[in-house]
Amino acid sequence: MSKNRATADGGMATSYGFSSVGEGEKQGLVNDVFHKVAKRYDIMNDVMSGGMHRVWKDAMISVLNPPKTPGWRFIDVAGGTGDIAFRIVEASRKEALGTVLDINGSMLGVGQERAEKRGLASHLEFVEANAEELPFEDKSFDAYTIAFGIRNVPDIDKALREAHRVLKRGGRFLCLEFSEVQMPVLDKLYEAWSFNGIPKMGQAIAGDGEPYRYLVESIRKFPRQADFAAMIERAGFSRVNWTNYTGGVAALHSGWKL
Amino acid sequence: MDSVRKEHPDTKLLELLVCPLTYAPLTYDAEKGELISEKARLAFPVRDGIPIMLVSEARQLEDKAPGSAG
Repeated sequence: MSKNRATADGGMATSYGFSSVGEGEKQGLVNDVFHKVAKRYDIMNDVMSGGMHRVWKDAMISVLNPPKTPGWRFIDVAGGTGDIAFRIVEASRKEALGTVLDINGSMLGVGQERAEKRGLASHLEFVEANAEELPFEDKSFDAYTIAFGIRNVPDIDKALREAHRVLKRGGRFLCLEFSEVQMPVLDKLYEAWSFNGIPKMGQAIAGDGEPYRYLVESIRKFPRQADFAAMIERAGFSRVNWTNYTGGVAALHSGWKL
Repeated sequence: MDSVRKEHPDTKLLELLVCPLTYAPLTYDAEKGELISEKARLAFPVRDGIPIMLVSEARQLEDKAPGSAG
């Protein structure tokens, strides 16, 4: 068991939260977490981020700035409930076409139902697949987005290489993820809230604190901003940078396929 | 409002979807509701209009009869 952050040299594939797991074991464990929380996933994000995830996601969409003209395609990976994809389609004035990809059928079911209710179903397609093995041709998309998903992927380097492969030249990679708080005092408060507050809230809301413990620990394990940026560069992306939100509670990493 | 559930994946998506193993194009078997990767000899299920492109969920196709065109 290790509470140290993984680095650009690896460590995420064999960690399930703070627990060490064997090669190939992580995916099944993560699947169980998301089957359990699918219906309450958005409420859970509100709880874990104090409602801030909405602000961060809106900021991500502003950075992406999807064109309001037809013919632009994006893929949102680990986006099952549709939260990011709906925002992108709406920001494009319903011109963008999107693929919502998730490895978890429960999450996709929630997203598909919501897309129909919101009248966005004709702009979106839902596909169950693995971020490490994308079922798309090279150069298929103008943008690749992933929000609060990459830390749950066992082989992050492979997923990043796949992101690069399916993007067109000039395509944009944007990743929103919990990160390392880089402000004194806030870091201590955040740590206390994460490890004491959130699993208790999960217990109260969802009746099960265990999935939330995984989510908190996996946040704490994820490589810090500069390390993750190095991984994105290694996958082939150019002009990689990041923006911290709320003192680094979350960070938006950006890269281009040039 | 159109509340009809899609029975098969949209054709515009099918243009982009390929086999996650071979990157070869897929054909849709409407009768079985499966996306077929001839090269990988795998059939990927489609449930509620969602293609499930996981090798672990795919059905292995029987080997072709000897002598049949590949």
